[in-house]
Amino acid sequence: MREEHGNVAPVMIAKGEDPGDVRTDVPYQLMTILSNLYPWMSDGKKIAVLTRRCDEKALAEIFKRGYFDRARIVQIGLACSKEQIAACRCSDPVPSTVDIGEPHAGVGSDALSEKLMNMSSEERLRFWIYQFRKCNKCFACTANCPVCFCDECVLEERTFVPERGVPPGMSFHLIRAYHLADKCIECGECERSCPAGIPLLTFRKLVAKDFRDMYKFSPGDDKNVSPLLTTLEGEALEGDECNEC
Amino acid sequence: MTEFKPTILAFCCNWCSYAGADLAGVSRLQMPTNVHVVRVMCSASVKPEYVMKAISQGIDGVLVLGCHIGDCHYMTGNHRTAKRIPVVQKILKDVGIDEKRVRLDWVSAAEGEKFQKVITEFVDEVAKLGPNPLREVAF
Ligand code: SF4
Ligand code: SF4
Ligand code: FES
Repeated sequence: MREEHGNVAPVMIAKGEDPGDVRTDVPYQLMTILSNLYPWMSDGKKIAVLTRRCDEKALAEIFKRGYFDRARIVQIGLACSKEQIAACRCSDPVPSTVDIGEPHAGVGSDALSEKLMNMSSEERLRFWIYQFRKCNKCFACTANCPVCFCDECVLEERTFVPERGVPPGMSFHLIRAYHLADKCIECGECERSCPAGIPLLTFRKLVAKDFRDMYKFSPGDDKNVSPLLTTLEGEALEGDECNEC
Repeated sequence: MTEFKPTILAFCCNWCSYAGADLAGVSRLQMPTNVHVVRVMCSASVKPEYVMKAISQGIDGVLVLGCHIGDCHYMTGNHRTAKRIPVVQKILKDVGIDEKRVRLDWVSAAEGEKFQKVITEFVDEVAKLGPNPLREVAF
């Protein structure tokens, strides 16, 4: 990231170019940008990218699905600051290799998740209805998510989300939650980009916990194919059909 | 006050559960009438999106019925269903909707009586939960 005219924005630099005022303290979802960039990269060219721990996990999910060639991505590990870790309520902030920054321990809990799960289900439902009513269907949460990579998004299907009218209704958020259950790496980008201030990361964390409890699987785990794409015996599903939907 | 009659959607796979439902009908087993049966080719073709949509639109309960594990006409279809539906239930729980509103069960073509039992039990259970709170919510 580079600061120019008072704005911090991602920047791409070629070999030998002067990087200028590089900033690493602003959270930014570079993997989403990389997904858009990757198809345009000339053959064989490599790209180095700043990777936090969550980006590393996002890359693992992307590699698993064969969207990027592992050999063409060079990761520059960035350890997040204490403030950032607190903002993300992140439990796993240290990348496998730290090239920039000081590693700090993660935080174990998210106050809002705990508060919600201690509520009665009626209260919890009221909370989420209030939150989801604010949604203006801008798709920022989807567009900025590093692991939303289907070519045809189910949320754009009229069957599930009406074309006109806001808010899009509860199903928009429930379906999105299901689709990300085995992919979301809890980077918090959806929450940061939501103009309505919906605590989307908290929702993601609640589902992630259930998923972990049920299948002992957290997205970003390099070794595992998602439990949703396996049979009961844990064998991966075969075939060239799209297993995502 | 009239007794609450829940509206139930039952997805039945063509090869086992739908045939089971048929058998229950042919055997003239008595069942609650507030169940809408939707025939699908396999329990795995019940996209979780359909379940989410039904619940969001105020259906009181969704039942997904398939062949027993090992008997799916498409070999491993119901293995997938068995992994997906629990995720759906947990997401509903996380937003504050009772996960008992969605149930997955296996009914073979020969199990007319089991079909009757599953339907009756599910209708009773959902009736106890009361109407879907989302029914009254205008989004
Ligand atoms: S936290 Fe949000 S943006 Fe990040 S991976 Fe999960 S759903 Fe996508
Ligand atoms: S970013 Fe927020 S307002 Fe926009 S679609 Fe997502 S949840 Fe709705
Ligand atoms: S055909 Fe019955 S569950 Fe697949």
